[in-house]
Amino acid sequence: MTRAQTDIDAEMAEAIDWLVRLQGETVTERDWLEFDAWLTASPAHAEAYDAVLTFDDRLTLDSRLSQGEPAAEPLTAFSGKVVPLRPARRVWIWSAGAAIAAAFVAGAVLLPASGLLSAHETTYVTGVGERRTVALEDGSRIEMNAASRMTVRFERHARRVHLDDAQAFFDVAKDTSRPFLVSAGDTQVRVVGTQFDVRHRDGQIAVNVQRGLVEVRPNLPRDAAPFRLRPGQGLSHRKGQRADARVQAVAVEEVAGWRQGRLIYRDQPLSQIAGDMNRLFPRPVKLADAEAANLRLSGVLIVDDQDAMVDRLSHLLPVRTTTTDDAIVIRAR
Amino acid sequence: MIRLYGEKRANLVRVFAAKLRSASEAEDLIQDLYLKVQALGEVEVEGDGSALLFRMAHNLMLDRLRSQSRAGARDEGWRSLQGTVLGDQQVADVPSAEEVVAGRQRLSAMMTAVDALPPQVARAFKLHKLEGLSHADTAVAMGVSRSSVEKHVSAALKALMAKLA
Repeated sequence: MTRAQTDIDAEMAEAIDWLVRLQGETVTERDWLEFDAWLTASPAHAEAYDAVLTFDDRLTLDSRLSQGEPAAEPLTAFSGKVVPLRPARRVWIWSAGAAIAAAFVAGAVLLPASGLLSAHETTYVTGVGERRTVALEDGSRIEMNAASRMTVRFERHARRVHLDDAQAFFDVAKDTSRPFLVSAGDTQVRVVGTQFDVRHRDGQIAVNVQRGLVEVRPNLPRDAAPFRLRPGQGLSHRKGQRADARVQAVAVEEVAGWRQGRLIYRDQPLSQIAGDMNRLFPRPVKLADAEAANLRLSGVLIVDDQDAMVDRLSHLLPVRTTTTDDAIVIRAR
Repeated sequence: MIRLYGEKRANLVRVFAAKLRSASEAEDLIQDLYLKVQALGEVEVEGDGSALLFRMAHNLMLDRLRSQSRAGARDEGWRSLQGTVLGDQQVADVPSAEEVVAGRQRLSAMMTAVDALPPQVARAFKLHKLEGLSHADTAVAMGVSRSSVEKHVSAALKALMAKLA
């Protein structure tokens, strides 16, 4: 039809025909069987198709810029339709509620502050496999992930939360007279009213923003300007290594997938996945060798029964698992 | 059946990534499919197991689209809020300035390339990709058959990919 199309190779051209066919209204069993046969015929086909899929995805994203416009306006010029923050209160969905309930260790432990501390300081702890939502007196809500520990202190001019080894999603009520301050390791986070996730695990600190504007100080000198994160941005670094800190685009719904009982990974090492699982279930998952620890996964793991999760992992990664009464051992295949 | 799932998993994700226009939603769907397959256990499958996997995934997708239309409307609502008040500041939920600039540049390169296409091809591409009409609606709008629309869109993608990718 056009000259240009002779510039791409035959596999690409076939891949494009497939993509267009599959984006039609009806995709039938026959389409699937033929598509599957085409993919299976040569690894180059799958490669070409994946490249086309990525290209098409970017085209679609870019073309949205031509419609939604306000995206490009500078913030100062922004006016008109401004709606106050109204957080959506999602109901937690566990795929297999009963299974996870069985894995819960105990109810949340609420430790009242000891006499020496201010009367307003409270420590919250979740056990392995346990999550809880803490409703604070100012209307803010904090969803704590499993095996987490945090301290909340309300002062006259500030609301302070300290995260030890923990992950939590914050939905902060607006209060301009009392900024909301979160400290995690060497990092301080300052907000007025917003939604964001903070993860402090194994010496790595990550802040990911869903709504609003968040100021993050990863162990910065007093006079340095903080990082300002906008929705869809995250900042992560190793404790004590502030030079590592980089602002990156993140899919916050993925980072905070734990709130919906999903662990979502993009190219993460199995060691991290094992760590996440060990905060959900009392029976430890152990990695037998460095090869297994370094395997990387992109995909979604639904949180339900531990054996089922491990079984699914063994289909997603080249690993073999051995289960005993007190541990699950994963080794590279 | 579970073994077959393992073999077909990646390809199923590819099919549904096209259908759902989202690789991560497709991943999620095919992960849910695993739960269904596992629930089946080691049953004797009559006929082609691969076709059955596809049917199961397709039904799951329809179920989801039905139950998610509400959630989708809410998310869309979120996006269309466009901004939020933070203290005295008005803050828009927007991609970063660099992303917008890079996206703009790609968009203008794309539009130049689209305008160089034969008129029917360009029109089909614009209606389908930029205005989001389905193949059938594009066919109606242009007064041509659905298969011509698919040919035009294919041709447009090939030309754009040769030029831009």
